[in-house]
Amino acid sequence: MKRFDKVTPEGTRDLLFEECASRQRLTGRLTELYRARGYRQIITPGVEFYDVFTLPSSGFPQDSMYKLSDNRGRLMVLRPDCTIPIARLAATRLAGMAKPLRIYYAQNVYRMEQGLRGRLSEIWQAGVELMGDCSLRSDLEMVELAASSLAGLGPGSRIELCHIGYFRAVINSLEADADTKEEIRQCVEQKNYAALGNLLDRFPGDPAAAALRKLPRLFGGEEVFEAAAALFGENGAGESLRYLRDIYEALCRLGLADQILIDLGLVNQAEYYTGIVFRGYLDGVGEPVLSGGRYDNLLRDFGEPCPAIGFAVELDPVAAVAEHLPSPPPDALVFADEKHLPQAIQCIKELTAQGKVVENCLLDQLDQAIAYGKQRGIPLLYVAGDQNAPLSLNEEGGGNR
Amino acid sequence: MRPIRIALTKGRLETDSIQLFERLGYDCSAVLNKGRRLILPISDGVRQMEVVLAKAADVVTYVENGVCDIGVVGKDTIMEMGGTFYEVADLGFGRCRFALAVPKGKDFYSGYHTRRIASKYVNVTRSVFEAKNMDVNIVKIEGSVELAPILGLSDAIVDIVQTGLTLRENGLEVAEDLADISARLIVNIASLKLRKNEIDPFITQIETILKEEEPT
Repeated sequence: MKRFDKVTPEGTRDLLFEECASRQRLTGRLTELYRARGYRQIITPGVEFYDVFTLPSSGFPQDSMYKLSDNRGRLMVLRPDCTIPIARLAATRLAGMAKPLRIYYAQNVYRMEQGLRGRLSEIWQAGVELMGDCSLRSDLEMVELAASSLAGLGPGSRIELCHIGYFRAVINSLEADADTKEEIRQCVEQKNYAALGNLLDRFPGDPAAAALRKLPRLFGGEEVFEAAAALFGENGAGESLRYLRDIYEALCRLGLADQILIDLGLVNQAEYYTGIVFRGYLDGVGEPVLSGGRYDNLLRDFGEPCPAIGFAVELDPVAAVAEHLPSPPPDALVFADEKHLPQAIQCIKELTAQGKVVENCLLDQLDQAIAYGKQRGIPLLYVAGDQNAPLSLNEEGGGNR
Repeated sequence: MRPIRIALTKGRLETDSIQLFERLGYDCSAVLNKGRRLILPISDGVRQMEVVLAKAADVVTYVENGVCDIGVVGKDTIMEMGGTFYEVADLGFGRCRFALAVPKGKDFYSGYHTRRIASKYVNVTRSVFEAKNMDVNIVKIEGSVELAPILGLSDAIVDIVQTGLTLRENGLEVAEDLADISARLIVNIASLKLRKNEIDPFITQIETILKEEEPT
């Protein structure tokens, strides 16, 4: 029988030393930011019931979830997303709590990826949710927080904004069946200009079709608003645009004009999102590192209607391009002969209390300890029970006092 | 920042793409005389770009991961591999189609035994029959798929068909056309957004010239 006892499953990996430090450093920057803005941390279980992720407005493709069963045969999944469990929590245990709720998290999600494409199945995310409010205030808070999150992670950050209301207004004005509309949505999402054109040839002279044809190209800067308004304004499209523009202008007044992009074709999860939708990019990372938006219908699926908005940041692609700072050797090594073993531990406790990083030497002989310390690059060697100053192990010191 | 990098599918799509770029005014001499180099510069005097030559499936992988910004690849590969990227233009060349082919004169849909289908494109085959709500038994064949029904391994094949000549010579015929195929221009999602000023004009340029050349 072939044994898989020396490798990790596909899509997972061991993180070592500097990699852990990088992830922790980046995560720390975000969680500090969130705490400073009044968000509070929660941790949800890694394993949840399958049913949590198959609700009408948030159905997760079943072939992307890792499934297992509990001791009563009930189907469970490894959490494929953080927002849905938080919605579950907000609609149940936190239902009676005063709103708004400001929540942040930093935990793994698990998504079964098609193998061998360079993608991870275990994805480390940090993110926030703001629940119980649907005003411009909370939308602005969230988009700005997204921009601040990325600004703290690396150079060349960009936030891309959309309002799903525009796409919805246009597609709802089109006289087409649901399947065709879904095909159109996919073409818009993939910016598949050619296929979209072919689909829309079936609707000659329809203003909605004409708008949809241009929709994937409605991305860029401020000029998009004019172009989109000229293209289609009925059925709520105009309102959505004006709302998005209000947010855009507020962000410009915060000095973020050159970091904000508009893309009205950001329709990936058109069923799930209900208002603004946004994504974030960093220079040198070939995929979006942040994604979020307003999802006012999700909590209703859990029986407790409540508006909400949030986003998540994927930190591993960021860590992959960030510089790994080499981890320095310990500040000191503590050696003891066999008569002074408790003194060695005592000495370590005193030194660490002073904030030093100290390693306990496991060798029997002082000369071995000196050689080991030099090889590890540890500058100082303390000898337990010896009241003298520590030995300096630096090149020039060479083991002298 | 590095120049925009384009991955081209080696072979015919590469030749057609280079001809297209030359019509756009790019000097592609480095690609035509590539020697052993793997990254080749092209330029129209204003814009510099780099061309990378790769196998079809690798073009998708490179673009999806963002190490190349743009790719030229057949729709057949896109349908088989899927993935997350923008598919911004149909380049019009490399035209052929996916078809279901059966031994001549045989009615594929008669009877109710579970069909066995041979194909190199297992994902395409799977989704075709899923859409028909038909359970089929798919066998992956790497080489000449036409052999499978002749040898009696399968009832039918799903494959790329251009003229249908190979099928006819092997006693097969097209039972059903499944999808049209041609070369597509694909773009990495982050690149299109972050480097819009460089990529968008290039796409527009291509679209314009394709429209001009379109036979009316």
